[in-house]
Amino acid sequence: MYRSQKLSLRYYAAAITLFGVMILFGLLSALYYLFPSMLFNVFNFNMSKIMHIDTLVIWLLMGFLGAVYWYLPKELGREVVGMWLAELMFWVFCAAVAVVAVVFLFVQYGGANEFSMWFINQGRKYVEAPRWASIGIVIVMLVFAYNVIATCIKAQRMTGILWVLVLDLIPLLVVYLDAFPVVTNMSVDLYWWWWLVHMWVESTWEVLIGCVMALVLMDVMGTSRRIVEAWLYIEVMLVLGAGILGLGHHYFWIGTPQYWLSIGGFFSALEPLPLLGMVVHSIYDAGMHRMKTANQPAFFWITAEAFGNFIGAGVWGFMMTLPQINLFSHGTQWTVSHGHFAFYGAYVCGVIAVLYVAKQHVSGAATLTGRAWKWSFGLLNFGMIGMVMALLLAGMAQAFYGRAIGGSTLMAFTAASENLWFTSGMWARMLFGVVFAAGYVVLVYDLLTSPKRVPVLQAQPEPA
Amino acid sequence: MTPQALLETAVLMGLFVLAGGGYGGLYAAGRLRARSGLIRAGGVCWAAAFAIAIAIAALTPLDFGWKLLILASAVVYAIIPPVAWRYLERMHSGEQATE
Repeated sequence: MYRSQKLSLRYYAAAITLFGVMILFGLLSALYYLFPSMLFNVFNFNMSKIMHIDTLVIWLLMGFLGAVYWYLPKELGREVVGMWLAELMFWVFCAAVAVVAVVFLFVQYGGANEFSMWFINQGRKYVEAPRWASIGIVIVMLVFAYNVIATCIKAQRMTGILWVLVLDLIPLLVVYLDAFPVVTNMSVDLYWWWWLVHMWVESTWEVLIGCVMALVLMDVMGTSRRIVEAWLYIEVMLVLGAGILGLGHHYFWIGTPQYWLSIGGFFSALEPLPLLGMVVHSIYDAGMHRMKTANQPAFFWITAEAFGNFIGAGVWGFMMTLPQINLFSHGTQWTVSHGHFAFYGAYVCGVIAVLYVAKQHVSGAATLTGRAWKWSFGLLNFGMIGMVMALLLAGMAQAFYGRAIGGSTLMAFTAASENLWFTSGMWARMLFGVVFAAGYVVLVYDLLTSPKRVPVLQAQPEPA
Repeated sequence: MTPQALLETAVLMGLFVLAGGGYGGLYAAGRLRARSGLIRAGGVCWAAAFAIAIAIAALTPLDFGWKLLILASAVVYAIIPPVAWRYLERMHSGEQATE
């Protein structure tokens, strides 16, 4: 095993730990909707939500870094350059995450001054980590970029997948810098902030997970390089074609010019089209391999990614993407439902597939069998589908009663929050959240236990 | 847009994409197993998607441009699965020829 693959395992361990933290704070956040005065002024909802979303971003990022460190030496046939720096950065990353978490848990917020921004909370939604930690993330990503590019140069070899990865490193670094400027005009601030949220998390991450999935498909299903690279190029074209201007659907109600309504609506409406092609492709691949692979868990999670992405991003997104609908649905639990499903389909399933790839290699098992992975697969998917359905109903009740009937007043918001559809949805979300958490526990158990050895049939010698 | 129209339109739009996905999935499964029944079921899904697109155009208060876009999408949905399938087959057969 390469040294960078050992580092990759550390990243996976950190990622799966933070996945658990994310679920924990997700459950806690769900509880506030049922018991709104819970932990009032001790640990308020906003801090729980910050922990839930920030750990989501960090664990997925760690999963991606782990996947690249896993496959890079295999792809280039040599050890990654600058490993000591990469290993150092892993510990710096973990330490920074731990310190920020402690500050969020125990200090929580400070005054409206420079000190708070640098050391407590930057105040920017989804990237609340204080300024020093944001700089730390930039340094970690710079070292990661150095590792990838320097290894390619040293190996004097480039593949199509690595070209896409290297080019993706540019926006991965540059767009994150959007987390830094201090802009006092809220419309301008939100305008650039959406670049960070949409372009960084939705576009550059899409390309990054596309590269990772291309490598996983070659590894798990033996798909040829030419085919996965052709699909990767198509994906990049679609991200550039529809994804970038699809950003416009975030610009509907933040004070930007009216033409964003048309641009955002049009390009967002195009987004389900490539996802439909992906569904066809996944069925083709599954069929060609007759569902037979040495790594069934990874295979199932890859397939779940294609369908989850189509339904979560395609169906759920299309329901609310046109401005006339979005006027009522944005900022309700309807959006939360879409966000959960889309992130789960696009990223979570992919990272779990990568974890199973690593498990098979580390354990040395010829095939991965057993029932635990099936249970975790079932519980996680059932829990997620239940959660998003519950959130969808609750969000529709908010849009219907609070926005369309009530006119978005405070009274209407309160009335919608007490509506039976909304409260039932919140209870159902909590229950399905517990199912999801159970799936996580089984997943961790399965990843940590050694697979059963499948006896290999020995050929009997022919009698003389 | 009335409150009722809001929910009806959103649900129709969701069902439209879902039916399109059903068409893609069933068409691909039918081609894979060479079962004409599945391909026909896929065709029914596409017909449902097209019918929903017409319902969106006729019954909902969306602007004319959006209705046109949804109708055009319904037509494009019809093309994507066969085109994607042919492309996949060509890629794989090309791959086998080079091996």
